[in-house]
Amino acid sequence: MEGCPRNREIGPKLFDLIPQGRKWYQEDKNNIDQEKKLELRLGPPGGDEEDRSAMKKKNNNYTETRNIKMESEDKSFQGFNSNHFSSSNKTSQKRTAPGPVVGWPPVRSFRKNLASTSSSKLGNESSHGGQINKSNDDGEKQVEPKREGMFVKINMDGVPIGRKVDLNAYNSYEQLSFAVDKLFRGLLAAQRESSGSEGEEKPIIGLLDGKGEFTLTYEDNEGDKMLVGDVPWQMFVSSVKRLRVIKSSEISSALTFGCSSKQEKMRH
Amino acid sequence: MTEEEDSSAKMSEDVKRYLKLDPRSSSAATSEPPCSSSSSSSASALANKSRNFKSFEPPCPDHVLENVLENVLQFLTSRCDRNAVSLVCRSWWRVEAQTRFEVFIGNCYSLSPVRLTHRFTRVRSLVLKGKPRFADFNLMPRNWGAQFAPWVAATAKAYPWLEKVHLKRMFVTDDDLALLAESFPGFKDLTLVCCEGFGTSGIAVVANKCRQLKVLDLLESEVTDDEVDWLSCFPAGETHLESLSFDCVESPISFNALEELVVRSPFLKKLRTNRFVSLEELHRLMVRAPQLTSLGTGSFSPDNVLQGEQEPDYAAAFRACKSISCLSGFRDLTPEYLPAISPVCANLTSLNFSYANISPDMLKPIIRNCHNIRVFWALDSICDEGLQAVAATCKELRELRVFPFDPREDSEGPISGVGLQAISEGCRKLESILYFCQRMTNGAVTAMSENCPQLTVFRLCIMGRHRPDHVTGKPMDDGFGAIVKNCKKLTRLAVSGLLTDEAFSYIGEYGKLIRTLSVAFAGNSDRALRYVLEGCPKLQKLEIRDSPFGDVGLRSGMHRYCNMRFVWLSSCVLSRGGCREVAHALPNVVVEVFGSDDDDDDDTVTGDYVETLYLYRSLDGPRKDAPKFVTIL
Repeated sequence: MEGCPRNREIGPKLFDLIPQGRKWYQEDKNNIDQEKKLELRLGPPGGDEEDRSAMKKKNNNYTETRNIKMESEDKSFQGFNSNHFSSSNKTSQKRTAPGPVVGWPPVRSFRKNLASTSSSKLGNESSHGGQINKSNDDGEKQVEPKREGMFVKINMDGVPIGRKVDLNAYNSYEQLSFAVDKLFRGLLAAQRESSGSEGEEKPIIGLLDGKGEFTLTYEDNEGDKMLVGDVPWQMFVSSVKRLRVIKSSEISSALTFGCSSKQEKMRH
Repeated sequence: MTEEEDSSAKMSEDVKRYLKLDPRSSSAATSEPPCSSSSSSSASALANKSRNFKSFEPPCPDHVLENVLENVLQFLTSRCDRNAVSLVCRSWWRVEAQTRFEVFIGNCYSLSPVRLTHRFTRVRSLVLKGKPRFADFNLMPRNWGAQFAPWVAATAKAYPWLEKVHLKRMFVTDDDLALLAESFPGFKDLTLVCCEGFGTSGIAVVANKCRQLKVLDLLESEVTDDEVDWLSCFPAGETHLESLSFDCVESPISFNALEELVVRSPFLKKLRTNRFVSLEELHRLMVRAPQLTSLGTGSFSPDNVLQGEQEPDYAAAFRACKSISCLSGFRDLTPEYLPAISPVCANLTSLNFSYANISPDMLKPIIRNCHNIRVFWALDSICDEGLQAVAATCKELRELRVFPFDPREDSEGPISGVGLQAISEGCRKLESILYFCQRMTNGAVTAMSENCPQLTVFRLCIMGRHRPDHVTGKPMDDGFGAIVKNCKKLTRLAVSGLLTDEAFSYIGEYGKLIRTLSVAFAGNSDRALRYVLEGCPKLQKLEIRDSPFGDVGLRSGMHRYCNMRFVWLSSCVLSRGGCREVAHALPNVVVEVFGSDDDDDDDTVTGDYVETLYLYRSLDGPRKDAPKFVTIL
């Protein structure tokens, strides 16, 4: 595979993929980031940072040749509108681990709690050396039995695809807000790009204080729609049924006219 | 079709008269195969007929042919063979239908219970499967369906001599079990795998009313604790029990009742207890039942730790059970006691350690003696080192399953390609493998493809999504490619890790015998799906999640959905329009779309995006019991 990004004679299609001035090549210190960005896959934006950082160490030799391979062979990329599934990994800083996904890894629930049930039966560890000891590593999380993720749906104005978040993975509103930003930033930018306006990714901030472009709201178990952030975190987790990210400008109408917007959708 | 059914109903009356197959008489002689009783009674039946009926009609040639055919067909048990026979001509279809005693239904929604009872009139054994496998991983909302109720209602009327019911992923209620227990006086075998909806009260009714019961196996099912002492509900006196498995029942049992039951069950060969049976209790059971061949050891942990002579001699108990070939349980293993199983190791063909946190050092002294093991299940706590020990000794190994002790994506992962390669080099007769790991290499997978040509099932789950080969950084295409190219007998494949469309081109081209394919977080585009649907000639079950496949890919399979059991696509890029297109083009295929919740009332249901597509062929059209959140296009 000859050539490198500089060689524009490979084919016109490379022009489409490589922005002028190779800004992406210089800005992005991690080439694998970029390859991941071009790669089509499903998963929340921001996923798999661990893979990248692991690959970073081992694979610097492979990056350039692999980049070319991806670009020239992946014709399907041309046709496929990368709206929905582009990754939002512009930054190379390591973020928190990708959020848990429903039903993955595919292990049935009765096989999932072995860590907590057997931690009490380690016996004498030195004589049966090497048994996996989970009781000290992760503190609270491992000890609780039968703790499955608490997934609630979250939708965002302007993005047709809803997602799910595992509320048990977070301990505060800030963490939740950060997770929402991670989830939707890429999707929102992709939506905006497809509707003609600028598709640059902007962080979604100010979800909790009303100062940002968007605000986070939720529907509780009684069907009431409310702003997120007013009650203590645990109380929120126990009563929330679903989340919605709405435009801050529409706060009052969204909260009052929740029911009618539901009816509107039912007529489809 | 209806004309045929009418004439078949008429013909079956004639056949019944001439062959005089009386369900009641044949069920009384339950130890004999049904066909032999029919052939012996037919001669006397004919004689009776000539005496009793004034207008005697000699058997017409067609009926003689059918008589002969019936006697020949009793030798055919495989359903594939029987399906072929039924296609020869109408009379063969009829006779086959009357002589099929075991019916297998791979998808309970592919036909209605009425169709079953109309076609097959003498069913003694029914195997029914309900939900698709991904339902096990919370990808399907509760109350989706697969209820046993309509089936038990229909069979209760049609097959009073039913003996065996085997259900997988069905929703079974206590009422269903009660109806079953009351309707089938000769009932012998109830096996519930991955089922739910019932509790210990339902089990109690079965135990109490099914007096001929030989097998009561509850495997990986969810059983609610109704606080009923179901073990005490078995009737007094000697039982016919041969197999009793309740290791999935997560509620305490009355040990005394269990012990008494074991004592009066001289035919008991398989006993799988749950984790509420302590080591001391297990010892007592083993002493009472040394004839056991399969033992589920319960907790394998003593209630009280006694010292020296006061402690039961567990090793002696195992030594006395000379016939044990299958061991499982170890739900709460106390490591010091594991060596007690040593006396039976040499005879073991199946060993299930998949609930026990066993380290390599604990495993090695045990596995060293297990030369005859064919099936081995364990947790990855045994590490690559443990797998190497298995490879060194277990030359007869046919099936290996290694489950993750810590099933999270970002956990450490004690096993890798090293263990896989070791197994491939040591266990050349391997046929089936399920391997969960955090990291893998193409090299190890390729080695397995070359060393284990007998592989029919290859399921590799690299738990981190989109993980490439951790040494080379390349996608896992080459490894899986080697598997499909070299393992010519492969019928089931599950892929994982970073995979491009190329991997699927290999699968489509070389996976000639693949019947079941599982895909998650893989592929780049619709091409991948097209490769599979345009290749893989024997594909029956396709389950895909979280992969970038859309309407174009879906369309590419239109020519074959009628010949598949089901296709599942969730969290892909399908639109309603695309799914509707398939539904309109294929009237024999039911196309269901739904979200992952049962309260969907917004975009994901009414909008264009399809979260889950589940399509399957059906003879009787869309089902009537679909819940609100399921839309049938």
